[in-house]
Amino acid sequence: MLSLLSIKRPINMLILTNILSFGLLFFFKKPYDNMVLLEGFMVTALFCVTYFIIIKKNMGDEYLFLVVSMLTSLGVLMIHRLDGALGLKQIMWLVIGISLFFLSYFIYLKIKIWDRLMIYYFLASIFLFLFTFIFGSNINGSRNWIYIGGFSLQPSEVIKILFVMIIACYYKNSEQLIYKTKQRELYWNIDKRLVRNKIVFFAMVYSNIGFLLLQKEWGTALLMFLICFMVLYVFEDDKKLILLNAAAAAFGALFGCMFVHHIKIRVDMWLDPWIDASGKGYQITQSLFAIGAGGFFGSGIGMGKPYLIPEVKTDFIFSAICEELGMFGGIAVILLYFIMVYRGFKITLYIKDRFKKLVSLGITIMFGVQTFIIIGGVIKLIPLTGITLPFISYGGSSLTTGFIALGLLQALSKECYSGEEAILNGEE
Amino acid sequence: MFDILSSLLKYIFITIMYLFIFGVIRLIYLDIKSASAQKFQIIKNTPYLKLINIRESFDFKIEEIYPIVKDVDIGRAVKNGISIRDPYMSSKHAKIISEGGKYYIKDYGSTNGTFVNGKPVKNASQALNDGDKIRIGQVDLLFVMA
Repeated sequence: MLSLLSIKRPINMLILTNILSFGLLFFFKKPYDNMVLLEGFMVTALFCVTYFIIIKKNMGDEYLFLVVSMLTSLGVLMIHRLDGALGLKQIMWLVIGISLFFLSYFIYLKIKIWDRLMIYYFLASIFLFLFTFIFGSNINGSRNWIYIGGFSLQPSEVIKILFVMIIACYYKNSEQLIYKTKQRELYWNIDKRLVRNKIVFFAMVYSNIGFLLLQKEWGTALLMFLICFMVLYVFEDDKKLILLNAAAAAFGALFGCMFVHHIKIRVDMWLDPWIDASGKGYQITQSLFAIGAGGFFGSGIGMGKPYLIPEVKTDFIFSAICEELGMFGGIAVILLYFIMVYRGFKITLYIKDRFKKLVSLGITIMFGVQTFIIIGGVIKLIPLTGITLPFISYGGSSLTTGFIALGLLQALSKECYSGEEAILNGEE
Repeated sequence: MFDILSSLLKYIFITIMYLFIFGVIRLIYLDIKSASAQKFQIIKNTPYLKLINIRESFDFKIEEIYPIVKDVDIGRAVKNGISIRDPYMSSKHAKIISEGGKYYIKDYGSTNGTFVNGKPVKNASQALNDGDKIRIGQVDLLFVMA
């Protein structure tokens, strides 16, 4: 039993966390629910089995999944504390998510032609956008959800991954060509061709962002722009293009702040929510109250009042964690995301192939920037947006697409680590 | 009952989370340490190419040490065993051949040529001795035998 407490294998800490949290949840409501113990056992078993499969089968980087499983356990704990039925649903999405994780890992490794499907990624995202426009329902001001048979789906999550792939396909050659033209045109037409390719690429990128703006999804639009901008910063040789993009974004943001009603409200509430603390500023003020009420160690699971925050199961889950687990709990969550992003960057640095480097960079930036945007919005660092905290927020689409992206990153890490092993063994 | 449990558990939860983070960071640190230790172990037994110029003076990525285990191509293309994106290097510039403990260098007919101790290498294999200075493109490499 004492070996369970050894920190030499962090998986033990994970098991202990799950046992304690589900044990606590068992005593939470008066008619002690045995289902909770069963769920706890299932979740713990699932994480252990997946972790050992990853280690035994040498599926690349094992720390990624470890960190993500700790985050997901925390998420399940908080959501279960808030609403038992949703907790069960989250566990169900977790099971689906982990199977999709393995699926995307194997499918990525089997299929070799990912870098030539640029136009298909673009068509798929346009199709998803139109689908949302026609069939989507309006929730909380943004028309971003589709209801299919009792389940709600958020296509913008999938579009994020397609977006990363589009950017990766474009930058994979250093000449940045989309079309391959005949050899004889090479000599006198080269400047025009490069410019034409650049224009087509940016048309794709900004049409994606434009569709999101039309749907009033400011958070996801900001996220995609930042992903594009950061990849541009790393890979683009032409500095003027980076400055042009930054200027366009600044201009767009200013225009939005001044003329678009929704954005204006968000920025006003960011600057001073106390003016309208019971109306438009209600969300952010409740969040600040909750974080403040937590103190350093928190009020304890089940002892605080996180349900007083609106949208607490999706966007404001971080405030709930800060209230019940305190400042130290919140900082621990941020540190876990740090480790995840660090591993992502390390994998990106070690990969030799340019296309794979781009995909892993894009996915790492996606996770990191999304976490920054939502935690920043919730603590009033930046204006609030409506995106989810990866792996912790309740949400089928968010959790499953998070695991798909993680599966891709895991597949990429396998290539980089087996390459490294070969060098260490003296081969090439 | 639940209240006492919860208040007690919040401290335990936070401790466990930080122990977890500490454990993960420690494992990552050990991984990195063992990986770099292994790399130098190989250098002890095999010959290697050592960079003479200052690494920061180049604006392309280049390593300080290139171990030579078997035949290796040197050039700008990524497919080469030693790939250096030097604009003054050809895609396939030179080859170092390992034959029964002796090492040879051969030029692939590159644009700017390969030089050993100042003298150009012709298209045939030339023997490499310990301490030879090889110049490929802008890069000066010292050939060191173990």
